[in-house]
Amino acid sequence: MKKIEILGSGCAKCRKLEKNVKRAVKKLDVEAEIVKVEDITEISARGVMTTPALAIDGEIKAKGKVLDTAQIIKILRG
Amino acid sequence: MLETIYEALRNGSAMVFYYLSSHTLTCLVPAFFIAGAITAFIKKEAIIKYLGPDVKKRISYPLASVSGAILAVCSCTILPIFAGLYKKGSGVGPATAFLYSGPAINILAIVYTASELGYQIGLARVLASVGMAFIIAFLMSSIFRADDEEISHQNSGDIHEKENSERPSLIKSVFFGSLVAILIIGASGSIAWIPKLIIISTLTLLLLTVIKYYYKKREVKDWGLETWYLTKMIFPILIVGTFIVGIIEFYIPAETFRPYLGTSSLSSSFLGSIVGALLYMPTLLEVPIVGTTFGYQEGVMGEAPALSLLLAGPSLSLPNMVVLFKVMKLKHWLVYICFVIIFSTSMGFVYGIVV
Repeated sequence: MKKIEILGSGCAKCRKLEKNVKRAVKKLDVEAEIVKVEDITEISARGVMTTPALAIDGEIKAKGKVLDTAQIIKILRG
Repeated sequence: MLETIYEALRNGSAMVFYYLSSHTLTCLVPAFFIAGAITAFIKKEAIIKYLGPDVKKRISYPLASVSGAILAVCSCTILPIFAGLYKKGSGVGPATAFLYSGPAINILAIVYTASELGYQIGLARVLASVGMAFIIAFLMSSIFRADDEEISHQNSGDIHEKENSERPSLIKSVFFGSLVAILIIGASGSIAWIPKLIIISTLTLLLLTVIKYYYKKREVKDWGLETWYLTKMIFPILIVGTFIVGIIEFYIPAETFRPYLGTSSLSSSFLGSIVGALLYMPTLLEVPIVGTTFGYQEGVMGEAPALSLLLAGPSLSLPNMVVLFKVMKLKHWLVYICFVIIFSTSMGFVYGIVV
């Protein structure tokens, strides 16, 4: 099971990214745990300055950008 | 009873129409598009790199003081960047410069302040914010020099995403230049509407041509989305907030505050900056609050406290202090807040003497 994290303080863009992630997970039909990281200290500890960021299994895959569903699928497939 | 409620609600909606009248929208709409373009097309990471510990101070300090205009269109982007700068080695100086000036000098705030409260105070706000950011940064890093050395210089683990297709800088200049020109000409009061319409349509045509030939469909979509996110984030709160400002004005007229904020004395500047530092004001709402709640537009509020409030306001608020408290060391936090209040007071006071 993959662990997908969305890092961001809860602004409109973070919610949009979350929506896209959910859609991508559904399309791929993979098992994944989606976690939102909203704590600013933790976000900066992970080396993220531009939100929203996307991490898969602990590794930051994108930051400062709302990826669309197709891009997320591509990342999930690796 | 029912009648006063009705009157209060009517005052609220009148206020919304007043603050979002057509001349405001001609300023704000292009400003939102510019802000969206900044978010979509300017590589934040590239600028952040120049605020790092290895960059010469004469570059990183001024850059940190002005980069808010480019990096932080909305206040929710400021804290993550600040936390990153603060924790990952750029030192307390550039980090606080950015933290302070970011919310005050973004393009939306500048345009809205100038169009509603007047060009003079709009300009004073920009200049004082940048100046204060620089001074506060300099003082903070001088006082806490020892702390800076112990902050780890570890790599922040940046991931270098694929760069956008490089465009000639001429094209980028034409793109941002025509956007800014549309904004300025649209806002200008000295041009009759027929030539104005002709100039604006020509500029729009130029802009569309550049977009068609030099920007990918995907990029234009990004730009549209960024503009839309910003609008969705800022506009509803601005409308509801302005409505509430109208209702408050009905029950507590600005005259109430005249004895405290009516002159440009040192004490009213101080009060202005304290109010600004504590009160939470959503992006752009500081303008109706100064303009109507405290009556700047009717000449009730003095010039000095108005500027003090605008200087301390967007950068500090109770909720924001709580978040900063978690990120910053206690002594940094205390000194930063004191500096913001002291300098907002004195900048406002000086401005009151000058005008």
